[in-house]
Amino acid sequence: MAKLWAIIKREYLERVRSKWFLIATFFGPIFFSAIIIVPAWLASRSKATSDVYNTTILDATGTNFGHRLAVNIAGDSTNTAKMPTVRVVAPAELTKAESVAVHEVMRKEHTGYIVVNQQTLAGESARYAGTNATSIADMAQIKNAIRDAILASRLEQVGLDNRRMKEITFIPLDFSTERITERGRAGSGMASVLFGFAIGFLLYMSIVIYGQTIMSGVLEEKTTRVAEVVMSSVPTDTLLAGKVLGVGAVGLTQQIIWIATTYILLKLRAPIMAKLGAPTVNFSLPDISMMAGILFLLFFLLGFIFYSSLYAAVGSSVNSESEARQAASPLMIMIVSTGVFIQPVLLNPTGTTAKVLSMVPISSPIIMPIRMAVTGVPPLELAGSLIFLAIGCLAALWLASRIYRVGLLMYGKRPTMREMARWVSYAR
Amino acid sequence: MTEYAIDIVNVTKRYAEHTAVRDLTLRVPTGSVYGLLGPNGAGKTTTIRMILNIIAPDQGAIHIFGRSSNDPKVTQRMGYLPEERGLYRKMQVRRVLKFLAELKGVSGADADRRIDEWLERLSLKTAEKDWGLAKIDELSRGMQQKVQFIGTLLHDPDLVILDEPFSGLDPINAQALKDTVVELKRRGKTVIFSTHLMDNAERLCDSVCIIARGEKVLDGTVTDVKEEHGQRNIALALDGDGMSGVAAILRDNSLVKRADDSNRFFEIEMTPGADPQQLLKRIIESGASIQRFEMIQPSLHQIFLQKVGATGIEEGMSGHG
Repeated sequence: MAKLWAIIKREYLERVRSKWFLIATFFGPIFFSAIIIVPAWLASRSKATSDVYNTTILDATGTNFGHRLAVNIAGDSTNTAKMPTVRVVAPAELTKAESVAVHEVMRKEHTGYIVVNQQTLAGESARYAGTNATSIADMAQIKNAIRDAILASRLEQVGLDNRRMKEITFIPLDFSTERITERGRAGSGMASVLFGFAIGFLLYMSIVIYGQTIMSGVLEEKTTRVAEVVMSSVPTDTLLAGKVLGVGAVGLTQQIIWIATTYILLKLRAPIMAKLGAPTVNFSLPDISMMAGILFLLFFLLGFIFYSSLYAAVGSSVNSESEARQAASPLMIMIVSTGVFIQPVLLNPTGTTAKVLSMVPISSPIIMPIRMAVTGVPPLELAGSLIFLAIGCLAALWLASRIYRVGLLMYGKRPTMREMARWVSYAR
Repeated sequence: MTEYAIDIVNVTKRYAEHTAVRDLTLRVPTGSVYGLLGPNGAGKTTTIRMILNIIAPDQGAIHIFGRSSNDPKVTQRMGYLPEERGLYRKMQVRRVLKFLAELKGVSGADADRRIDEWLERLSLKTAEKDWGLAKIDELSRGMQQKVQFIGTLLHDPDLVILDEPFSGLDPINAQALKDTVVELKRRGKTVIFSTHLMDNAERLCDSVCIIARGEKVLDGTVTDVKEEHGQRNIALALDGDGMSGVAAILRDNSLVKRADDSNRFFEIEMTPGADPQQLLKRIIESGASIQRFEMIQPSLHQIFLQKVGATGIEEGMSGHG
């Protein structure tokens, strides 16, 4: 036990002391809060870009419709800075006026121009041309402004005064969304998808990074022959267990720091968003119970043991970093193909794909926590997933320890799959 | 104290493609310096790994100080220096040494004290510079080798196992290693090392075992091996007078089996069981003036070549030692 402890301690302390660990631990929370804050910030920006104000209205209606539209776009008749330019043109002159407007846009004097005419007044058609024509938010804003202007002129025709008209047409609708799970209301839908994505991404990255850390660690011990010195003092299984546990503890430390600081950063989200000049988007943090938190960590640990023991086996069977990269590609494929399913599972967390993937040990450590983040998972499925994953871990450890103890002592050419299969059958 | 530090009986280790060690029996007396000699691929490293319980034999038994080789108490008493050497490159020297010490059950202040002693002894820690605080990859190769010796000997093992210890050593460290081996022996420790450098083996070892193709070719004390395999020849050179008296002595079949006469130089093959000292006495009594009287023994190198030959290396086996 003292020797196992010595190995765990070395693996843990040497990695936690490294510059790499400090950098990753420091940048992690910034990265994860950026994942959550930036989309919210972008969403707030997409409400209205200033592009819509810098447009020209070519008014061929023969009424004051153009001015009304400009006021509508600016949102306020006194705010002249936000008001698009209005040009009243005769219907016959429209082609020429458009050509002028096009050149103005090309010279970047304006973002675009709006054409309103008799068809517009009739509620049939209007046109927009500009550099931001693909911006869904901008186009929706202009379209709504035109619609409102049409409605306003119609209401005026039936005799409503300006003030009454504004009262009737002013609808400051705030449309918020919230998700309902089997356990009840579960905070904003957007937030839990982002949260699910963050969890999936975190697990995915951790498994790849720490798996490869273990692999190069094993390879270093093999190439420097330190492994032989250690093996002359402790059984190989102890060495393997010490490595997996030591590096796993590093991963756990990092994740706990990440989660804690990300949580704090998100709590301070409102002031940060205010500094960025964006209005605070109304979404609450997903409600994570203690139990769910423990389950996340359990999935991380088991998934880590599953993959890192296999990575250790790969590291022990090769003789150089480049061979290791090649030999690890089946593992990489297993992880990456799981990563590919993160988005589909987020979109349909209760579908058959999600259910199957959360049972297979190869993908369950990443997929199941995502499902838990975005939907309620029946306890039976959770238990099944954990049991299969635990069995998978035992199988991976058994296989890895057998390859490991032979591989560490084999130098020379890289073994074939057949040779590695034979190693498994070696007594010791 | 047990008579044998290492007692290997009828040990066989097979791999899929070949048998690395076949029915090997050897005994290393406690307190001796023992050489395991053989060409590359002879099974030296496999044997050493079995002694260290890194791998288990398919057949046979290995006892270290009278205990089974997988007894944890035994592993604490062994120190091992593997053939190709290296250490955790990014790790601080002291921390590496402390880790290695902990694996051998030496920890805390005791380990720190021993590390200081050793670093000072091998001048890795001086008034100007404490290399113990440097990282391994900041050290020169020679210094790294020193650190590795320290790692092997830090827990004061009773049995020190060195695999090809002289390969890659600079002359200074090679001398330091020889001094260390001699000192270990003086302190009653047992040292076993593998090598294919017969010169070193001949000078350092009390006993040797030559193995080739996984099998023992011969073993015994260096003196015995040489006596058994040497022709007990004597080189004799005379100075002018007294030739006739000597010629009579050389015809005495109870002493001399055969004499190769080259006028003033003779190479004499002694009769089995005859005492060369007796021959020398007779020649002196005959009044001859002796320029040279030397017992010539073939070197281990010659015995090795004679016993193992150029075919001792089995193809495709190198790397498995």
